[in-house]
Amino acid sequence: KQHIEKALSDLDPCKLKVLAVSSVGIGGLLCYMAWRKKTKKIPVGDGWWREGEKPLSEDRTIRPFVVETSEEMIQDLYQRIGQTRFTESLEDGRFHYGFNSAYLKKVAKYWRHEFDWEKQVRVLNKYPHFKTNIEGLDVHFIHVKPVQRTGQKVLPLMMVHGWPGSFYEFYRILPLLTETEGDFVFEVICPSIPGYGYSEAPRKQGFSSLDAARIFHKLMDRLHFTDYYIQGGDWGSLITCNMAQMKPEYIRGMHLNMINARAGSTMTIVCLLVGRYLPFLVGFTREDVCRIYPYMQKNVYELLRESGYMHIQATKPDTAGCGLNDSPVGLAAYILEKFSTWTDFKNRDLEDGGLERKFSLDDLLTNVMIYWTTGSIIPSMRFYKENLGSSSNFYKRLDNVTKIYVPTGLAAFPHELVHCPRVWARSRFTDIRSYTYMPRGGHFAAFEEPALLSQDLMQFVKKVESKRPK
Amino acid sequence: MAWRKKTKKIPVGDGWWREGEKPLSEDRTIRPFVVETSEEMIQDLYQRIGQTRFTESLEDGRFHYGFNSAYLKKVAKYWRHEFDWEKQVRVLNKYPHFKTNIEGLDVHFIHVKPVQRAGQKVLPLMMVHGWPGSFYEFYKILPLLTETEGDFVFEVICPSIPGYGYSEAPHTQGFTCLDAARIFHKLMDRLDFSDYYVQGGDWGAFITCSMALMKPECIRGLHLNMVNAKAGGALSIISLLVGRYLPFLVGFTREDVCRIYPFMQKNVYKILRESGYMHIQATKPDTAGCGLNNSPVGLAAYILEKFSTWTDYKNRDLEDGGLERKFSLDDLLTNIMIYWTTGSIIPSMRFYKENMGANFQKTMDNTTKIHVPTGLAAFPHELLHCPRVWARSRFTDIRSYTYMPRGGHFAAFEEPVLLAQDLLQFVKKVESKRPK
Repeated sequence: KQHIEKALSDLDPCKLKVLAVSSVGIGGLLCYMAWRKKTKKIPVGDGWWREGEKPLSEDRTIRPFVVETSEEMIQDLYQRIGQTRFTESLEDGRFHYGFNSAYLKKVAKYWRHEFDWEKQVRVLNKYPHFKTNIEGLDVHFIHVKPVQRTGQKVLPLMMVHGWPGSFYEFYRILPLLTETEGDFVFEVICPSIPGYGYSEAPRKQGFSSLDAARIFHKLMDRLHFTDYYIQGGDWGSLITCNMAQMKPEYIRGMHLNMINARAGSTMTIVCLLVGRYLPFLVGFTREDVCRIYPYMQKNVYELLRESGYMHIQATKPDTAGCGLNDSPVGLAAYILEKFSTWTDFKNRDLEDGGLERKFSLDDLLTNVMIYWTTGSIIPSMRFYKENLGSSSNFYKRLDNVTKIYVPTGLAAFPHELVHCPRVWARSRFTDIRSYTYMPRGGHFAAFEEPALLSQDLMQFVKKVESKRPK
Repeated sequence: MAWRKKTKKIPVGDGWWREGEKPLSEDRTIRPFVVETSEEMIQDLYQRIGQTRFTESLEDGRFHYGFNSAYLKKVAKYWRHEFDWEKQVRVLNKYPHFKTNIEGLDVHFIHVKPVQRAGQKVLPLMMVHGWPGSFYEFYKILPLLTETEGDFVFEVICPSIPGYGYSEAPHTQGFTCLDAARIFHKLMDRLDFSDYYVQGGDWGAFITCSMALMKPECIRGLHLNMVNAKAGGALSIISLLVGRYLPFLVGFTREDVCRIYPFMQKNVYKILRESGYMHIQATKPDTAGCGLNNSPVGLAAYILEKFSTWTDYKNRDLEDGGLERKFSLDDLLTNIMIYWTTGSIIPSMRFYKENMGANFQKTMDNTTKIHVPTGLAAFPHELLHCPRVWARSRFTDIRSYTYMPRGGHFAAFEEPVLLAQDLLQFVKKVESKRPK
C-alpha cells in the first residue's frame, strides 16, 4: 500500500488523469465483459391449455398408466388396411417421389398379417408409465429406475423425443443407460410432448417449445428432481435447449444429437466462402469440410427437397393431417418416409428406401401405432405451426438469440439433416464440454445407433461429473 | 432488331408415357365415354365417410390452421346424407364426353357444340383446368359461350390434364406442361381444328402459354385468368421500390398499387403461408397423396381448403371458410368426386414435381416471349397480381387487360358471367383485327 501511495504521488497531474481515465475505461470494459458472460435466462412464463379459466387449485397427483388395446381397435385397423387404395409408382420412381408404392404394399401386408400389436403393447408396458396433469394437460411419461450397483451414483436424466418419433425411440438405449459399469447410472424420464401419443393435446393456440420446456421442468419438480441431465434430438433438442435457458440452475448437463446453431449471418457466409479452401482459417476441421460441402447441394437443395412437410405443417396442419388420421397406410407412408430419408439421403435411390437395414418393421410400426391409436397426428403437426408458423420471426424469438450456458455435449451424426461445425456451435453454446464426430448414424440417433449415442452421452457426463465441485 | 422481333417458338418434341416401346402405328380413334357410377362405389364412399376420425380444432382456430373441423363435419354430413352422386353424374353427362389415345395415354375431354344462329361464326376454343380443379369448373360458363348474341359463338373442348380425373395418368417420369401442351395440340388436330382460341388458369394458364409457344400459328388467341409474368429481376425490384410512391413512373396504375402493396404482406408472407401444399407436392407427391386416396373427408378438406382460401384470402378468418358464399356444396363435392372416384390425387400432385423439379424459373417456356394475341383478366383475389407493365415483358401482343371487379383464383367456377364477358370482348377485338 505504501508503495502504491508513493508511486501515485510521484506522478504529475497529467499522468494521473490518464491513469484515472484508463482505469475507469478498463474497469468499464471488465464490467461489460462480466455482464456479457453472465448467464442470461429466458422468462419461464406460465400457461393453461384447456378451454375456460385456470382453476384455483392444481391437481398434482401422479397416476400410473398402462397402455391398452382392444379387439375392436385391432379389427378397425385391419379393416382400414384392407381397404387401402394404392397408386402405382412411376417407372423407376424408387423413393424420389415419396414412399414407393410397391414397398408400401409389403409393409401393409406385414402390418396386417404378421405385426402383433398385443405383443408390442406388452413391450411398451415393460417400463412403468404415468400421467400427471400440468397446466391443464395430462402429460404422459415413462419412469425407468436403474439397476444400481454398490458405489454408483444415480443421475436423473430426461430424454425428449421429436417428430415423427415418440418416447418409444428410447427403448433400445434405455437398457444401456439404466445398467452401467462405471461410476454412475441414470434414472430416466421419457415424457411425451403434449399433443403427441399418450400426452393430451393442447386445446388453445400458441403451445410452443417454450411451453413444453416449462411443463417438463414442472414434471421433474413434481418428481422431486432439482438437478438433472437432459438429452434430445429434433424437437427434443429445441425443448431441452429451452429448458437450459429457462432454468439453467437445474440443468446438470445437456446433450444433443441435433445441433441448431448458426453463427451470425455475415460470418456464416464468410466462413462458407473461405472454409472450402482454407478451412483452418475459419475453424473448420477436415471432417466439417466433408460434411458441409458442396454447400448448395447439401444444405440448400437438400433442405428444400426435404422440407415440404415442414412447410405444410407449419401453415396448414389441420388439413395436412386429416386424411392421415383415417388411413393407417397413408400415415405409415408419411411417417416412415422420414425414417428412410433422414437416416441416409441415399436411401431415396433404393426401391425399399433402405428402411429395414437399420430398423425392424416391428419397431417402426409400433411408433406409427402410437400416432394411430391416439389419433395425435394433427396435434403433432400443429407444433410446427405454433413454433415456426406464427407471425413473429422464429429466428428472432428470444430463445434463438439467447445463448446457452450449461455444460453441453454435442454428438454430430454424419447423416443428420444439417451439419453444425463446432466453431458455429460455440456461438450459441458457451460451455461445450464435448463435441464428437459420430462415425455413423442419422437423424434418429437413439433409435438407430443406441450404443454409439449412449457411449457419447456417458463420456460427456463423465467429463461433467469430474469437473463438478465435490 | 429484325432478328429480335422474329417470333421464336419452342420445340414441340414428342413423348410416350407407358412402359415399353412406342408401337409403329398410332390408334387415332375417338371413343365416346360416359361417366358411370355403381352402388358398390357409393356404399364404399359412405362407409369411409362414416368411419372418419375427426380432430377437434383449436379454440378460435377458424381456418388459420387449415380446414376447420366443425365445418368439415357439416360438409361430411351433407356428403353422406344429402349429396346425390347419381344425380350429379347425370349433370356431368349432359355434355358429350370422349377419350382418345395420345402418346400412350387415354386423354379425356368434353366436346360442346354451340347453338349456332344465322350469320354467327363458330370459333373453336379449348379451356384448360388446373389443380385442384377439373373440367367440371367450366360447366357454369359453357352455356354462356356456346349460346351467344353476337357475331360469333364457341365450340368448346375441355380436356382433362393427363393424371387428372378421367384422363389416364402417365406411367413414366417427366410429364410436364410442355408435354400436356403438345398432347392438347394433337387432340385439336385429331378433331380437325387447325386454328383455335385457348383459355386457362392455374396449370391451364401454363399449359395454354406453352401451346402458344409451341405452335403460335395454331393459336388464334390466348386468354388467361392467371397471369404468370414478371419483369426481369432488377427491374422488378426497382418497380416495387419506386412504384409505391411514384407508380406512374414505373407504369403502375392506381389499381396495381392497391393490389400489390403492402408488398411483403400481400406477396411474400402470403405466398409463404399458402404454398406448403406446393412445396410438399413438388417434392414428395406420392407420400402427400397416399392418405388422401383412402379418406374421402381428408381429400375434401385438402381440396376445399383451396376453394376457400384462394377465392378470398379473408376467408381464413371465418369459421366456415366462406365456402358456400360463392359455391354450392353440390358443385364443390362433384369436383372432389372426380378426384375420388378415379383415385387421381397422387398423379395430379406429381405434376408439381415434374414441372418444378429442375429450376422452374429458367425453363424454356418461362423465358421465351409469347407473340400470339393475348387477353388478360386480372381478378382481385387471385393469388398474385401481375400489373400490365410486367405482363408486357412476356406477352408482346396484349389486346386486352382487364381489372376484374370481383373474383378469385377459380374464375370460371366463381364468376362465370364476368369471365365470359371478358373473354367475349377479347375475342371480338382479335376477330375485328384479323384479315378477312
